[in-house]
Amino acid sequence: MVAPGIVDERPERERQLVRFLAFGIIALVAICGLTARMVYLQLVNGQTYQQAATTNSTVQQEIPSTRGLIYDRNGLPLVENLPSYTVEVRPSDLPFNQRPAIVAQLASLLKMDPADINAAIDGNPGSTFDLVRIASGVPVATANLIAEEHLDLPGVEVSVDALRYYTQGTILSDVLGYTGPIDAATLKQLRSVGYLPDDLIGRAGVEEQYETQLRGTYGLETIQRDATGRQIQVLSTDKQPVAGDSLTLTIDSKMQKQAQLAADWAMKTAKLKSAVLIVENPQTGEILAMVSTPSYNDNDFAQGITNAQYEALLNNPSKPLINHAIGMQFPEGSTYKLVTGTGALADKKLTPSTLVETHPYIQIGADKFWDWNKRGFGALNILGGFADSSDTFFYQVAEMLGIQRLAYWAHQYGFGTPTGIDLPGEVPGIVPDEQWKQATFGQAILPGELVQAGIGQGFDTSTPLQILNAYSALANGGTLYQPQVVRQITGPDGSIVRPFKPIVIRKIAAPASVFTTMRIAARQVVTSRHTYNLTDEPFVIAGKTGTAEFGIRDAQGRLPFHNWFVGFLPLHGDVSQPTSQLAVIGFNEDANTVGNSATEMVKYFLQIHLGTHPDLRRYDLMKKGNFYGGD
Amino acid sequence: MGVLKAEPAKVQDWATRSVGGNWRAYDVQLAIYALLLAGLGLAMSYSSTVVTGVNPLDPSSNFLKGLAWSGIAVVVFIAATFFDYKWLKTFTWPIYFANLGLLALSLVIGTGVGGSARWIAIGPLQFQFSELAKILMIVVLANYLAQRHDRLGSIRVILGACVLMVPTWILVMLQPDLGTSLVLAGILAGMLFMSGASMKWLTIMAGFVIAMIPVAWTYILRDYQKQRLENFLNPASDPQGAGYQLIQSQIAVGSGGMFGKGLTNGTQDTLAFLPVGDTDFAFARLAEELGFIGAVLVFVLFVVLLWRVLMAGYRSQDRFGTIFAAGIGSMLLFQLVVNVGMVIGLMPITGIPLPFITRGGASLISLAIGLGILQSINIRQSKADW
Repeated sequence: MVAPGIVDERPERERQLVRFLAFGIIALVAICGLTARMVYLQLVNGQTYQQAATTNSTVQQEIPSTRGLIYDRNGLPLVENLPSYTVEVRPSDLPFNQRPAIVAQLASLLKMDPADINAAIDGNPGSTFDLVRIASGVPVATANLIAEEHLDLPGVEVSVDALRYYTQGTILSDVLGYTGPIDAATLKQLRSVGYLPDDLIGRAGVEEQYETQLRGTYGLETIQRDATGRQIQVLSTDKQPVAGDSLTLTIDSKMQKQAQLAADWAMKTAKLKSAVLIVENPQTGEILAMVSTPSYNDNDFAQGITNAQYEALLNNPSKPLINHAIGMQFPEGSTYKLVTGTGALADKKLTPSTLVETHPYIQIGADKFWDWNKRGFGALNILGGFADSSDTFFYQVAEMLGIQRLAYWAHQYGFGTPTGIDLPGEVPGIVPDEQWKQATFGQAILPGELVQAGIGQGFDTSTPLQILNAYSALANGGTLYQPQVVRQITGPDGSIVRPFKPIVIRKIAAPASVFTTMRIAARQVVTSRHTYNLTDEPFVIAGKTGTAEFGIRDAQGRLPFHNWFVGFLPLHGDVSQPTSQLAVIGFNEDANTVGNSATEMVKYFLQIHLGTHPDLRRYDLMKKGNFYGGD
Repeated sequence: MGVLKAEPAKVQDWATRSVGGNWRAYDVQLAIYALLLAGLGLAMSYSSTVVTGVNPLDPSSNFLKGLAWSGIAVVVFIAATFFDYKWLKTFTWPIYFANLGLLALSLVIGTGVGGSARWIAIGPLQFQFSELAKILMIVVLANYLAQRHDRLGSIRVILGACVLMVPTWILVMLQPDLGTSLVLAGILAGMLFMSGASMKWLTIMAGFVIAMIPVAWTYILRDYQKQRLENFLNPASDPQGAGYQLIQSQIAVGSGGMFGKGLTNGTQDTLAFLPVGDTDFAFARLAEELGFIGAVLVFVLFVVLLWRVLMAGYRSQDRFGTIFAAGIGSMLLFQLVVNVGMVIGLMPITGIPLPFITRGGASLISLAIGLGILQSINIRQSKADW
């Protein structure tokens, strides 16, 4: 310590000199240390870090391809790709505490229910860094508004993509299907083949069935992005996208409209639960028209259906989301007598002239199995039995065949197996035999079940398309074709990728004469006036009605029923020749009409299609009433 | 007035003194180095403005604000040179309380990011008074230590300096601004050391501070500050979270290589991989765009600037001048090492700006005041025998 009052400059100055020098040395050492680290980072490892910076900021991403178009058989475009504004959300960029406010604002801008937006975000199939599609087909003004307010809407992005627009409205929804956002489970399967979390994918109809062809091949580009993943610029195009193939359907949209008109009339007049009308070319298996009504509007789905709309469709008891032509199975009723008759003739249990006595009922044990007219028709051969649709005739024929041969002939006609039509969601139907009964109920077929099977009741079920395809085989002389809705696949350059080729499932193992006999029998159904005035039409038609009971008996012991009519137009009116070009089936679910409403529906379709007059529709037969006649 | 003594006022001499300095002693080098560093800072501000898509000549652009602050800083620097620094000794107490008042005001009406209270808006410009506090505390401490030059071996003087620092330190911590409070501690340590205070006591105190680290960890540091320290020790533990800045900043620096990617061509900050690339991590941007050459240029400029600062202190006949220069030198070195160290992964993230390079008006103005006072000291020595 220096004594107070005595100022000795030298020691203090010297000490400061030493300290200043020490500080300078510390400074130099520290800055050399920093420089050494810079050498290490920038000079020694510069390449590595440059790589890391590049990896940070560049990424390869897919370039969507243009989805293929769909035309009807005459080249009419059924779908267009419209440029559309899409609003998407990247959940990772959505500030958690602001989410309710952002969702509310989006909902009011998009006129959507906030619950739908939340559901979309939470149902996001990808990671939180992937975009989630909120709304497609957003009007330009709204898209601009959202783009302008992007500062208030962090995590919300607007992009332009192509939206499917189905030009024919609801009438082809069941065939065309629609595209919609990919779901998590599908994405998981398809991620490896290039599907993206915000991708659209075919969800029903040919859009689903031909997804691979329609989608095309996505391209690849390298983009520079920022830390939030936003694209800054395209650095290079690594692979050009290849547009999808286009489909030409077998559907004739003019005929489709006519079929829809007839089905709508029947639905309204007979107050049906649902109706199906399918037209097929028996010579090729091409489906010319396929109506399942009620249906949905595929444009609703393409533009992003609301939860409320979707719930309403799901909860509708008529099941509009299912294509009834292929996706639901019903008892065939008397239309199935084709199988029983063909089998008996081919197995030589009957000749065309063999007479079988028909009684009011047949007795098996304690049970009586009644004919539909409760009286019997006397002695009938196969032509009369089929024309009058005598139940007791076919009970006895079924007993002659036995369940195994009956099932054999059913399978020959394609029952019990999906037809293989190029549409998703087809069900197989049921053809009961001993193995099936054992597997399902663990017991043998009972005698009563055998006779029921002979008239398409009991366990038997099939889709409307299966029945139509069986009658098409009858019309063409015994060739079972695989029905098709896509006629041709065309590449983006116009080349034909897949030309049309009929696909034969099998030649039914019966002689041509058997089919000739059954065609004549089918014509007699009409000429015998079993189908009322259908024979008065200025066109020649052969066919078979069906009244298929189902469900629970009412107070009078009567069952509700579906109505069927399936038939074909013989070429030049000559039913003996297997040359028909048009087979048609009408199905009315839970019809319960005085007469056979399905016959009236098909009659109306043919009147429109062939342009015939006068109008012979029988409105009286379309009234409600539980009448067991007309079968 | 307890620990501080007022310098006898010499009002009559003021006019002659203020213009009557020895202008030959004006340190042109110091001014040039400072200007060059400020120019580099402006260049980085220009780059970060351009890449965000903002017209640099737009009145609201950070570049134009930086230019405005630089202009003001030059005026302040010149004004401080003309001002006779000896008056600072007279007004130490008013300066001390004004400093505390401004810091308290920042707490009350200040704004900042993440709930902190740091900036006070002055028209379109924001000012951070904790930056000014560093210079004002250097003035106060220099005067305090200079007056007690004969008792620097005593623990009481050392503790007195610490006590003087405590209110400022607390107010800064309350904002909270860990970075500035660390700089204040660094300044205090540097000034005590270079003023010639007893090494024995300084060593004991350093030991005490180290022993207090566990206490600070528990009671003083906030969770995010602890998180930063933990992530510094192991950045890979959370590469998308708190370790992200450390990793991305090293990628930015490393990818600059020898010559850099060129001004405005950096991708790390431009594409937002580098958080706060125009403020605390400005050096990362500089190293990415100007490369090793640019980074070393910055280091060299700091070395020569420090040399001129220390020379100013060492040549000063006046003890106040010597210790004041020690304070400025300590501040510059501490901030350089801690900021660059943070950017290149040698130090934890603390939010300490790099003088001249980090955008910020208060920092620039405070530097201008500090260096201006140094020039004032340079030209007001009657004879330069050191």
